[in-house]
Amino acid sequence: MYGGGNTFEGIKTDSIQQEDPKRLAEFESRIDRGEKIEPSDWMPALYRKQLIRMIEQHAHSEIIGALPEGTWITRAPGFKRKMALMAKVQDEVGHAQLLYSAAETLGKSREKMIDDLISGKSKYSNVFNYPTYTWADCCFISWLVDAGAIVNQLANAKGSYGPYCRALDRICAEESFHLKYGHHCVIHLASGTQIQKDMFQEALNRWWPPMMHFFGPSDKISIHTDVLMRWKVKMGTNDDMRNQFLDMYVPKIWELGFTIPDPKLGKNPETGRWEYTEPDWEEFKRVINGDGPCNKERLEVRRIAEERGRWVREALKSPQAVYVVPLA
Amino acid sequence: MNSLDPRVIRLPKIEQEDIISPKIPLDQFGTFEVFVEPKEGKPFQHEGIVHAPNLEMAYILAKEAFTRRFTCTSLYVVDTREVYVSPMTEGENNAYELIPDAKESLNEKTTFEIYHLIKRGKQHVHQGHVAASNPTEAMAIAKTIYNKGKTVFNIWAIQSDKIRFTTQEEKDLWVTLPEKKFRDASDYKGGSKLKAFLEKEK
Repeated sequence: MYGGGNTFEGIKTDSIQQEDPKRLAEFESRIDRGEKIEPSDWMPALYRKQLIRMIEQHAHSEIIGALPEGTWITRAPGFKRKMALMAKVQDEVGHAQLLYSAAETLGKSREKMIDDLISGKSKYSNVFNYPTYTWADCCFISWLVDAGAIVNQLANAKGSYGPYCRALDRICAEESFHLKYGHHCVIHLASGTQIQKDMFQEALNRWWPPMMHFFGPSDKISIHTDVLMRWKVKMGTNDDMRNQFLDMYVPKIWELGFTIPDPKLGKNPETGRWEYTEPDWEEFKRVINGDGPCNKERLEVRRIAEERGRWVREALKSPQAVYVVPLA
Repeated sequence: MNSLDPRVIRLPKIEQEDIISPKIPLDQFGTFEVFVEPKEGKPFQHEGIVHAPNLEMAYILAKEAFTRRFTCTSLYVVDTREVYVSPMTEGENNAYELIPDAKESLNEKTTFEIYHLIKRGKQHVHQGHVAASNPTEAMAIAKTIYNKGKTVFNIWAIQSDKIRFTTQEEKDLWVTLPEKKFRDASDYKGGSKLKAFLEKEK
């Protein structure tokens, strides 16, 4: 999962003026033809910078996203659920590795990215700054947060950067298991006892606001985002992604007899678009800037892992193994 | 820290938790390229990379990262620095056209594996091997053997004895893959349960 709600606010397109116009034209016509850009191809500095930022954030989201679910492995109900959840969490961490290497082809090392994650410099998907109190919270993530992520990832897999697209193709194929597994869990809760039903309803109530935040605030369409769309870095507006998610999953939630805690939620039959209460973007900003229920704990877990893993890295390091930028 | 996560509560506190020293260059693992054979008889295909402290660890990590599901019959890894890369071309331009013709060399020959990129945006695929005394010569010889038909956009050459192959005894690493149904979407069919639920709710 989890490349969601990328905001490209405040990007400066000034650097485009300094690019070689001939090369820029060749680059843009290659994208127009639907060809992929490979690491050895020429690319504008802004393209490189924005892609590193986006892929890196996506990778961090996979790593951090493994934490709220990972904590439920030992407490998952039954052997089958434990096996499945373990496989899912392993997938998420594996996806992070694939994404880090895609970002590395653009010139930033994995170690630097991990340093930037634990120092708080890089961001990750905001949704993982919320706690998983019950098994139902864990099921909500497996089904619906993954569903949201798949909406984003399927769009991004049609982007222009070869290594990122190849990583996403692989990730999307594995995600289909996550989505099915998550839905399976929720069907079981919905058709279970009243306590199980209530447990999922409460989880849904807790997670709905962060889920709406997941896709990011409405894009202010400007020259800046226009460039990123033209270069196929950004593949759709945040509102389009949110609308697509609501279109696919709200009926499935209702079908199971659950209610969504938003009285305004409904599809406008004329426009065909979903209408909803505007999410609290002040809270979104506050949480993204570090003041959420779990921000501190999430980073602390990564820091502890870093510190406790130091002796292993020390023991393994060898002057024969040299870091180089991956080929493709 | 007050956490819901039992692992966090159990963990000992680290000293100076907010100070993370940047990594020294040696504290970074090497880069290794990973190739997978999806089916017996199918060519090996480049899948991606792993970072590891040595070739053997790279092999183990590659197995975990790239062959958890779907079919796989073999895997190999090589240090990224051992991969010789031709120029990248596009359109109608064949990368082999940029490789100078072979000059017969009298030096001792060794085997090189040859890979082609025949669609931009896809992976490099194994073509075969040639005997040559250096990578440039290997590509030149490959030009006479493998440059037929399709446009090749990029060529890789890797000296075979630098590769960590899967041995015959290790082939059973993937024998149990099809049994791991819990990793597969098809094992989570909720349809009948959902149908029963909807019937009951009517």
